[in-house]
Amino acid sequence: MKPAVLCGLAVALLAAPVAAQAPLVADISSREIAITTGFAGAELLLFGAIDGRGDIVVVVRGPRRAAVVRHKSRVAGIWVNSDSRKFVGLPAFYHAAGTRPFDRVAPRVLLERYEIGEDHIVFNLAPGENADDGEEFRQAFLRNKASLGLYTGGEGDVTLVDRRLFRTTVSFPANVPTGLYGVEMYLFRDGRLITRRTTPLVVRKVGVEAQIFEFAHEKAAVYGLIAIVVALMAGWVAGAVFRRA
Amino acid sequence: MTWSGCCDRKPSHKEPKSLATIRLRPQIDRERVSLSPRVRNRDTRRLMQVYLPIAEMSANVFALLGLGGGVGFLSGLFGIGGGFLMTPLLIFFGVPSAVAVATGANQVVASSVSGALAHWRHGNVDLKMGLVLLAGGVVGSFIGVYIFTLVRALGHIDLLVQISYVVFLGGVGAAMLIESMRAWIRSRNPSAPKHKLHEHTWVHGLPLKMRFRRSKLYISAIAPVSIGLFAGIMSAIMGVGGGFVMVPAMIYVLGMPTSMVIGTSLFQIIFVMANVTFLQAYSNQTVDIVLATVLLAGAVVGAQLGTMVSGKLKAEQLRALLGLIVLIVCLRVAWELVVTPPDLFSLESPLP
Repeated sequence: MKPAVLCGLAVALLAAPVAAQAPLVADISSREIAITTGFAGAELLLFGAIDGRGDIVVVVRGPRRAAVVRHKSRVAGIWVNSDSRKFVGLPAFYHAAGTRPFDRVAPRVLLERYEIGEDHIVFNLAPGENADDGEEFRQAFLRNKASLGLYTGGEGDVTLVDRRLFRTTVSFPANVPTGLYGVEMYLFRDGRLITRRTTPLVVRKVGVEAQIFEFAHEKAAVYGLIAIVVALMAGWVAGAVFRRA
Repeated sequence: MTWSGCCDRKPSHKEPKSLATIRLRPQIDRERVSLSPRVRNRDTRRLMQVYLPIAEMSANVFALLGLGGGVGFLSGLFGIGGGFLMTPLLIFFGVPSAVAVATGANQVVASSVSGALAHWRHGNVDLKMGLVLLAGGVVGSFIGVYIFTLVRALGHIDLLVQISYVVFLGGVGAAMLIESMRAWIRSRNPSAPKHKLHEHTWVHGLPLKMRFRRSKLYISAIAPVSIGLFAGIMSAIMGVGGGFVMVPAMIYVLGMPTSMVIGTSLFQIIFVMANVTFLQAYSNQTVDIVLATVLLAGAVVGAQLGTMVSGKLKAEQLRALLGLIVLIVCLRVAWELVVTPPDLFSLESPLP
């Protein structure tokens, strides 16, 4: 990560003169997170420069997916999933950071329109779902996502250098969902949105991992047979070793 | 070209020293000092991590090898597949329960092949009995995978797996412990009356009788088929070979000689678990071949050590010990069902 930081800052500096024309220039240290055999999470550097005053807000949004939140209650002494809500279109990963707390950067209307901050993410129930206790289930969703390390970010995590250069890091855990992410950078000034930039970010399995996953899903029968053959061979080899020992 | 490509050290050294670069030097140096230990730490951690493509998580290779080795040791020690230990341990490890059950099944195939081969060489496999059990087992595993898929869609799969564990492990563990204690007491008191060698029960009154030469039995085929069927259903739901239920059933219900029982049950477990593996892979895509392979590598070594130690212990001692382990696993699972979870809400991403 260190060379990336060095390089990123250098690039940000070189880009600084350009900022004279554009109010916001920004980039990320990598446009792809490759999940390989040794994948144990990744960290990305988001950086850029602004022209003049303003507040930067960075939002990293994972692919939108449906999610089921289940609630346990005690039935005959044991804990059983008794109630659930299905939400649709929730980002699988979410990170929002800004130079200052969001409510001081922009009015609520804007924060809600662009879904900036976990509290402003729009929760839509799947059709036909019971609308009761929505707030409790919403809170539970955010809490569980946070404990998985998938909803992260502090509001003041973007550092501003000399009021012009900004940077922030985003951590992706090993269980990061795959798909197309959006890295959004907003420039607010006096509560107004000056500009925003969206950069796509791809999180995908590469190499053997990707092949195994695709194979398991696309040729499930062959995959099953191979799994069995591998196990039979391993058992047979083990048996042969036993005999010698 | 991504940014990482431009970030080799060489080009950054050759960069012309512009005013801006010089101004930023202190910042960069601080960066280097604060980041380097963390980077090194992550690099060494990466060497030991393996990403499991189906479980979609990364795990420590040595922890997985140790897990495989430990369960392999016990399976060599007691002549069991070890699935009933492997599956809950995997779940405890953070592997999603659906993946743990299916991958556990795959791993049991391998351990039962090596076990069955050893018993086959000693002539301790009743092929005919094995095939009859298998007929029931294959049908049972179809039913089991069907139930599994159905209950998973309803959102109660964790509960079903846990309750199955508590009920079967609790029952079998307690029975084994009590039986072996009795045997132990009997062995210390030789004047006590001995059990009859071959008891006639209601099982012997059923129709469709078959002769099993190796086991020296003439009984109804219905009994072994139902035992196989039941074990097959359990195998699919719990990711276990079902040996811990089948072995006592074969001894006490069928009256098979103990020497034949383990080899025969292992023989039929190979096929039942191969079928479960296939069905889980086909209908749920939950078999993680990377996870299974790492576990296997550990289990092979563990099983060797286990077999070596098992020769040094008495049969009753082994049974009592196994009963105890089974009960501990049962209590561990039961504890999770009863104790109030830290968060009553849980999150589940539905299958695409």
